[in-house]
Amino acid sequence: MAERDDRLDRAIELLREPVSLRSDLEQRIMAEVEAAPPPRAWARPLWSALEWMRRGRPVTVSPLGGLALAAGVAAILVVGRWSVGPERGPAAAEDGASVVQFVIHAPAARSVSLVGDFNDWSQQATPMQEARGAGVWTVTLPLDPGRYRYAFLLDENTWVSDPSAPRALDDEFGPPSSVVTIGGS
Amino acid sequence: MGMRVEEGESDAALVRRTLAGDSDAFTGLVRRYQDRLGRYAVRMLGETADAEEALQDTFVRAYRSLARCDPERFGAWIYGILVNRCRTLGAQRARRRKLVVGDASAVERASVAHSEDREAWREAIEWALAQISPANREAFLLKHVEDLSYDEMTEVTGASVSALKMRVSRAREELRRLLAEQTHG
Repeated sequence: MAERDDRLDRAIELLREPVSLRSDLEQRIMAEVEAAPPPRAWARPLWSALEWMRRGRPVTVSPLGGLALAAGVAAILVVGRWSVGPERGPAAAEDGASVVQFVIHAPAARSVSLVGDFNDWSQQATPMQEARGAGVWTVTLPLDPGRYRYAFLLDENTWVSDPSAPRALDDEFGPPSSVVTIGGS
Repeated sequence: MGMRVEEGESDAALVRRTLAGDSDAFTGLVRRYQDRLGRYAVRMLGETADAEEALQDTFVRAYRSLARCDPERFGAWIYGILVNRCRTLGAQRARRRKLVVGDASAVERASVAHSEDREAWREAIEWALAQISPANREAFLLKHVEDLSYDEMTEVTGASVSALKMRVSRAREELRRLLAEQTHG
């Protein structure tokens, strides 16, 4: 047994040795990094968000999100409509954005934030407000058409994905997140 | 214009500087981590070219998503990205090849003269490592080669501590058997 363990120990020792990688790897990485957009916090001006909310326009949600809404699966989260309309109005077509309301039922939470692709996963950018102390937290955002991954951050330390929305299958950067697709005009 | 990266500057400071727009700080993170991450990728994938691809992809994805990283946990976070890239790339390569070229003769050669023929011993270990399942190989490398704690491994892989302990134990046993059978066969 000692001989067998010794063999494995020697294997581990060898596997810990440094490996040789191409000498220009760092340059190749940084060339691609510098061509990418800088990873900065999303910051649409507040006045712009208020303007979108004032207008109140229809929004297209992903099929599963819409199904959850129709079925009343509101216990955890609903991605809903800021204002319901039979179709997208002319105002929405002006620059393609829609207003989306995110809702989560979290009665035990002391604070809730919305984090997602739209705010570069900033934990401070999008705090949610509790409605009438009933444990229902909401926030409303203007979103351009596209696919967004998102999640909720409870009490600054608990990450919650949305069970009523599709799971982000390509999520590899951290805890699970959900996906909402905002339709174009 | 970026600032120079100080030798003792913490990961968290470099992450924050990168987020503030200093891409030189990200170069500092690449230099700090590329050897360790590269070693894991080479051991996991068995091919240097594949490992370099995984490594480059990992750093670029990390840069793009850096706002989602807890600056104090950068190391575990980027390991998690690499582990996922290796899983994806490994699965793609396995489907493409459908055949792992096993070189049992390397083990036999190594058993005869591993002290004299270090290269044969290296080939033997790499061959044995390629024979065990990717999940067990991943856990073994993170534990015994990269020296991560089980808590860190949980953060990186998403698996529970008990599952990881089981995988490490199985990997050790499989490697012992593969090396011992060949050397005594």
